[in-house]
This record gives sequence, C-alpha cells and structure tokens, in this order.
Amino acid sequence: MNSAYKKEIRYTLIFSALLLICGHFGLLFVALPGLQNKMVFGFPSQYIIPIIFGWVVLMVVVALQAKLTNDLDDEIEALGDSSESSK
Amino acid sequence: MQYENWVLESPVLGMIFVGASFIIFYAIGWYSQRATKSSTDYWTAGRSIGSITNGLGMASSYMSLATFMGVTALILNLKVPFVYMWIQFTLSIPLITLWYGTPLRRMGAFTPAHFVRERYGRRTSYITVVFMILIMVMYALGQMIGVAKVFEMLFGFNYMVALICGGALIVGYVTIGGMYGTTYNAAFQMILMGVAFIIPLGAIMKAMGGTGWYFPPLLYSDMVPDMLKAVPDFFDMKYGFKWYLALIPCFTIGAMGLPHLGMRVYTASNLKTARGAMVWFTFFCGIVFCSTYTMGFSGVFYQATSGSGIAPTDFDKITLILNSVYNPAWVLAFVIAGAIAAGLSTISANLMAIGAMIAQDIIATIKPDLSDKTMKTIGYCAIAGGGAASILIAIDPPTFLVVSILWAFGLAGVTVAPLVILGVWWKPANRYGASIACLVSGLAYIIVSPYIAPNIVIGGGLEAKVGMTGSLFCVPLTFLLHTVISMITERMPGLMAKIPHEQDKRLVDKIHGWADYSDQRYNNTNAGIIIAVVSALICIYAILPGGWA
Repeated sequence: MNSAYKKEIRYTLIFSALLLICGHFGLLFVALPGLQNKMVFGFPSQYIIPIIFGWVVLMVVVALQAKLTNDLDDEIEALGDSSESSK
Repeated sequence: MQYENWVLESPVLGMIFVGASFIIFYAIGWYSQRATKSSTDYWTAGRSIGSITNGLGMASSYMSLATFMGVTALILNLKVPFVYMWIQFTLSIPLITLWYGTPLRRMGAFTPAHFVRERYGRRTSYITVVFMILIMVMYALGQMIGVAKVFEMLFGFNYMVALICGGALIVGYVTIGGMYGTTYNAAFQMILMGVAFIIPLGAIMKAMGGTGWYFPPLLYSDMVPDMLKAVPDFFDMKYGFKWYLALIPCFTIGAMGLPHLGMRVYTASNLKTARGAMVWFTFFCGIVFCSTYTMGFSGVFYQATSGSGIAPTDFDKITLILNSVYNPAWVLAFVIAGAIAAGLSTISANLMAIGAMIAQDIIATIKPDLSDKTMKTIGYCAIAGGGAASILIAIDPPTFLVVSILWAFGLAGVTVAPLVILGVWWKPANRYGASIACLVSGLAYIIVSPYIAPNIVIGGGLEAKVGMTGSLFCVPLTFLLHTVISMITERMPGLMAKIPHEQDKRLVDKIHGWADYSDQRYNNTNAGIIIAVVSALICIYAILPGGWA
C-alpha cells in the first residue's frame, strides 16, 4: 500500500477527532466538573471556551483540513498520471 | 403571573420589506435559471459554483426560521446546554466534505441516494429514498408552517390563506430557478439574514447597556455579572454525560445524513472550491450562531430584568420582541424580512432535495432512457409537486410529521449517514448489510420514539422528544448491523454470487480518485470488527438507565 493511501486514512481520522473536539467541548466540562466556572474573557469557562472552539478554532482546523486534503488529492492524481504514463 | 401576548403594531413596513425581498428572490431565480441547459445543470447548478457563494449557500441552508424564532425559545428553556446542542451543527459541512462530500462530487452524484444506488443497488436506494423524503418533508413542513405563521402575523390573513399564498410564492421561485437560482438566492438570503440579525442585535445590546455592541457575537462579557445576579443558573451544565454524548449520533452524524447539505458540495466547480466553501461555511455559520447565543442571552437577560414578563407562548418571538422594544419600526420590518429569508433558504434546499430524489433517484432509475428534455420537465414537476404536497400536508399536518425538525436529524443519522460513510470507506460493506441495517434501525428509531409506542421509549423528557435517546441507540445499531451482516454474508458464496460485489468494491477506489484498483485499500476486516464492537458497547450504554440528568 502506498503512502498516499495511509495519509488519506490518517488525515480522515485525525481531522474527524479534531472536528469532534472542537464541536463537543461540553463532554470535557461535564466529565471534568473542576474545569467549570473559571472566568475566561469575562465569561464562565464552560460557556465561552466551547463557543471559541466551535467557531474560531474550528475555522483554523477546517482551513488546515482543506489545505492538506487538497495537497493529498494532487498527490493521488500525480500517482495516477505516473502509472498511466508507465503503461 | 399575567402575560400579555405580543402583537406586531405596524405591519405595513414589514409587508414592504418582505414584498421587496420576494421580488429580488424571483429576479435572482429568473436570471440564474438562464444558465440551465440540461437536467444535470438544473440539479447541480452546472457544478459551477465558487467557494464563497457556495459557503454562503451552505450556511444559508442551515439557517432556518428557527435561527430567528425557535431557538430563542430553546435558550429560554435549556439555557447553556442549548449552546452545546447548537454549536456542533457547524461540524456538518466539514465532516460531510471530509467523509463523503468530495468522493461523491468526484463520482458526479446528484444526491446521497444516488451514491447508495450505485454502491448498494436499487432496492437499498429505494429504502433510503423513502426515509430521506420523509426527513425532508418533516424539515420543509416545519419551515412552511413557520413562514405561514409569520405571514399570518404580518398580513393578518388567516392561517390557510397565509399558507397557500406564502407556499405558492416559495415553490414558484424554487421551481423556476432550479439549483442555480436556489444557490444564488441562498447566498443572497444568507447576507440578508446575517445583516438583519447581527446589526440590530448590536443596537439592542447598546440600548441594554452593553459596551461590546460593535461585535455582538463575542463581546458581551460585561453583562455577565448582572446575568448571574438575575439568573444564577444560566451557565449551569444541567445534564449528565450521556446527554452531551448523545449530541454526536443525533445531531452531528444526523446532519451528515441530511441530503440537502450534501447536495451543496456536489454543486462545487471542483474539489478545491468545495473545500474552500467549507471554510467559508464555518465562518458564516459561526458568526450567525454566536450571535444567536447573544440574542438568547439578551432575551433571558431582558426576561429576567425588565419586569415585563414575556408570555411562554411568545418565547419563540424574543428576537422580534427585543427589536420592537429597542429598535425603530423599520428595523423590525427588516428583521422580519430576514426571518422569512431564513425560512425560505431552508425550504428551497429541502424542495431541491425532494425534487432530485423523486426525479433522479426514483423516476430516472425506473425509466433510464428518458430524454434530457423530458428529465428537465420532470424536474420542474417534481419540485412543484413536492412543494404542493408540503403545502397540502401543512394545512392539517399529521401529528407525527410535526414532532420536531430535530427528531428528523436523528432519523437521517440512523438511515442515511452510516450507509454512505461505510459505503465510501469500507469495501466489505455490501447490499445485504446496508438494506437490513437501514430498515431495521430506521424502524427501531421510529418505534423507540415517544410518538408511536409510548410504552417502549428509551429515556424520556426533551431528550426523547428530539430523538437524542433514540439516536444514541439506533445510530450505532445501524453501524453494528451493517458491519456484522456484511462480514457474515461476504463469507456466503451463494449470496455473494447474486450481487455485483466486485463492481461495488471498484467504485470505492474510483470515487477516492485512484486511477488503478487495489484490493488492499479500504478493505480491512479488523476495522469492521472494531466498528461492530464499539457500536455494540454504545448500544448497551444507551439502554442502561441513568446518565441523562
């Protein structure tokens, strides 16, 4: 199996985990109640951190996802072109 | 406590703004449809949409009338847990794009059901199409009823007249425009609703004494101390671990199964613009969602501190009430036009999905030799017919169809998303596993809901009503049945001889962009075993008592 395939699987699993973390911060606060009610930027932590992760951090993750998966597409396409030309 | 129901004092300005917005919607629909040369163009906008327009369209399809009306009632009831319920919706398009959007775009799919047909055969696709149409009708119905009620409030018509007039106007512009018109209109509607929601909210915050009024989505921490005095439990988590965990199968995986969201990815001009659109979607969706929390926060704050109690029946009108209290009448009229635009963008996406499934996934498979001209005519008829049916059902809707739009998310998560995800990523997934898993789990989700057989409901309260308890059990059940049945039947040569499994497996490599075929890719039996074991454990956890509160 080539490295592009392994990369595809790795990216999909890593970005799925990162996206789920960004969108489901509530699980962390309910699992670890000690993290609640610390004031961050003037808001209780369990309120503002999920909001920031669910928007700003998510945008960064998604931008990175777009960049890396676009590069991976190019890699898979190049592999296809090289296998065509070697025939 | 005595409450006085809120009434719109001067509807004339609202009528003018809404009337003007409809003229623009029709103009955009009419102008855009001129690019439609074939039935493929009609359903996919010629696969020509750029990333910013598509990002706006994607976000717009997600901003329903609920953004302006329903969610404020949810915030008043749920308080902070609502934020967790809502925030994860932003994951939908990035996850769809990552897991199956780009492979299906590469395949040239019209709808997720199109992929199901190619991957699992016609019979399985008919089962999923029935569930998808049910989901879309439930979704569209909620919006149609909501828009009719706003028309009723605005124009003073009775409900029936408001529904038929409003519904006909909506169905008209969607039918004329096709996916071109729907997409460009959705982009315009997103801008309209964003401006109509966020700028008046800034004025409301300023009037309430907030110093961060110039950026409403995040800058209202100076109001927090007063909020804590007035509503000490506003920031309480309230629910248990299981409640927050159930958000993943019900709403995150559920949203991945919604056909009208997936269809937006297929309109992209190429895979790079599809991924670019996903970044824009996150930006637009995030800014409006964060403003929604601010509006809910302001609503709860107003309710607790103003002394003028809001009637419980008016909780869903908080956005309008705050605008009527703090902003001039013309701003309220603009907000109403924004609310209508939000409802319309969702209905139009729903109607496009219903039409595409009727035309492309049912009629085109039964009669594959129809000419493109006939298919285009069928397209117009499918959307107009789907719209007319939605209006007729909305006149006196059956109770089970109006239970909750949120419940429909769970049904999509149970019947659509697992089939598509496993179909794209796991070659051993086969037709037997897909059809049995979809049918059994779909019916199980309906049965364990509080609406059909109240004696066999999993859990209770709000989490059962919106489908969270059912999803936590039935989504992993679909994965479990699909993987186990596929692995068993794959070892039964007699059954495998009846289906073109090799051809199905080749499709997987093709849609991932591989020029050659390798049996080693996406073909790991251990992955199937891991998915089955984890799914079984979650199913057991879901039916264990407790953990929700």
